[in-house]
Amino acid sequence: MSTSLTSQLQSARHQVADDADLQAWLRERGWTDGLPVVPPTPERVASFLEWAVLPPDHLVGIEPVRGRAVTAEKVAINAVLAGCSPAQFPVIVTAVTALLADEFALHGPTASTGGAGILLVVNGPARAEAGMTGTFSALGAGDPAATVIARAVRLVLANVLDVRPGGIDRSTLGHPGKLGFCVAEDEEHSPWPALAADRLGLAATPGTGSDVSAVTALAAMGPRQIMNEWTTEPEEILDTFAAEMRANMRHYSIWGGDYALIIPPQLRDHLAAAGWSRADIQRYIHERARINRSEWAEVGKGSVVMDKGDRSYAALPSADDLLVIAAGGPAGGFGAVIPPWLGTKSRAVTVPVGACVNC
Amino acid sequence: MLEILDPTHGEDPEPFTRAPRLAALDGAVVGVVSNGKQGTGPFFAALAEALRRRGAAEVDVVVKANYSAPAERAVMDRAARWHALVSGIGD
Repeated sequence: MSTSLTSQLQSARHQVADDADLQAWLRERGWTDGLPVVPPTPERVASFLEWAVLPPDHLVGIEPVRGRAVTAEKVAINAVLAGCSPAQFPVIVTAVTALLADEFALHGPTASTGGAGILLVVNGPARAEAGMTGTFSALGAGDPAATVIARAVRLVLANVLDVRPGGIDRSTLGHPGKLGFCVAEDEEHSPWPALAADRLGLAATPGTGSDVSAVTALAAMGPRQIMNEWTTEPEEILDTFAAEMRANMRHYSIWGGDYALIIPPQLRDHLAAAGWSRADIQRYIHERARINRSEWAEVGKGSVVMDKGDRSYAALPSADDLLVIAAGGPAGGFGAVIPPWLGTKSRAVTVPVGACVNC
Repeated sequence: MLEILDPTHGEDPEPFTRAPRLAALDGAVVGVVSNGKQGTGPFFAALAEALRRRGAAEVDVVVKANYSAPAERAVMDRAARWHALVSGIGD
């Protein structure tokens, strides 16, 4: 451990009697989520920064509404608190970088009564370095590494940007994804290139794992699970996903944006056997996931149909706006639709690990 | 003893201060900033009319392009000539 690095740390230092005292001390100040935390000692924080080769004052980004700078040191402190390992820190820094990109418009999804969570999708070698999987219970705390990475991001939002319920966070309900919504794409068992490789325009060979590590962030509502175990036809499988997207447009928001589909192996295999690429899926869903505004009259929203009843609304502004993600356990004809927080007010952002945005 | 680092931003949470409240509306130019949500239209129109009835010389209603983003530069430039500003959220 470099003593010079610990001496460069700028955060205020506090003295507590012991670990038990620390837990209570932090809870009293609202600086934890109520679960036990790891003490963010200068030595532990320095070890995270050393692993990522980042100086403490490295500017991860600037929160766009309040203009608050977020440094690597503050992200590292919260990553330690969350129970992360140093090897997970580059993923966390990248995730926070993505959230602070202008097009993510962080204030909206973190402050809105709509109660969005932040879905993080991790690609590339960083998954293995961070100890991530992307298989069993991919959206249900099946991956301890994903759980603590998401927790670290949540603590950064709370402690560095004051995104706490009743404070900046005005969520009416929120959803369980706000506790943690992080998944590693199962690239090695996917018939498609890695999500991030596609979004960044990089070459990738399906089924081998991509060379580039990256994090994609999406301001997301809760996952809506679908089931179709009674066909092998791609069109029928995707019709089920599209129907769930239309249901979201009827019951939640009609505005199109970045939707994510989580497609586990059983349904992926059928799509792959028929030779369907990610682009094929995106094009099909783009055409099928549409409703007319008049449908709102069927679900109790007739007062805002007005003279726009015949107008057609697409769930996706363009086919590319569909995030097709390979993840989930090997058996079961299930999948998930993850809707955007609200139309295009916040856009999905993909950032390579090691990249810097607005800094 | 255990030494730990502070996980918070460590800044003053309220670095901004409000302008002094106007003693009267007479002759004042009042800006009204809408976040752009549909319900703000009739609400702020009624508010503007009420402000005019109470003596405001001008009520300048502007609508942000994105309710999730800060007010654009053009809005801030207009604010330079306002004596008071009404801003809030609407749904």
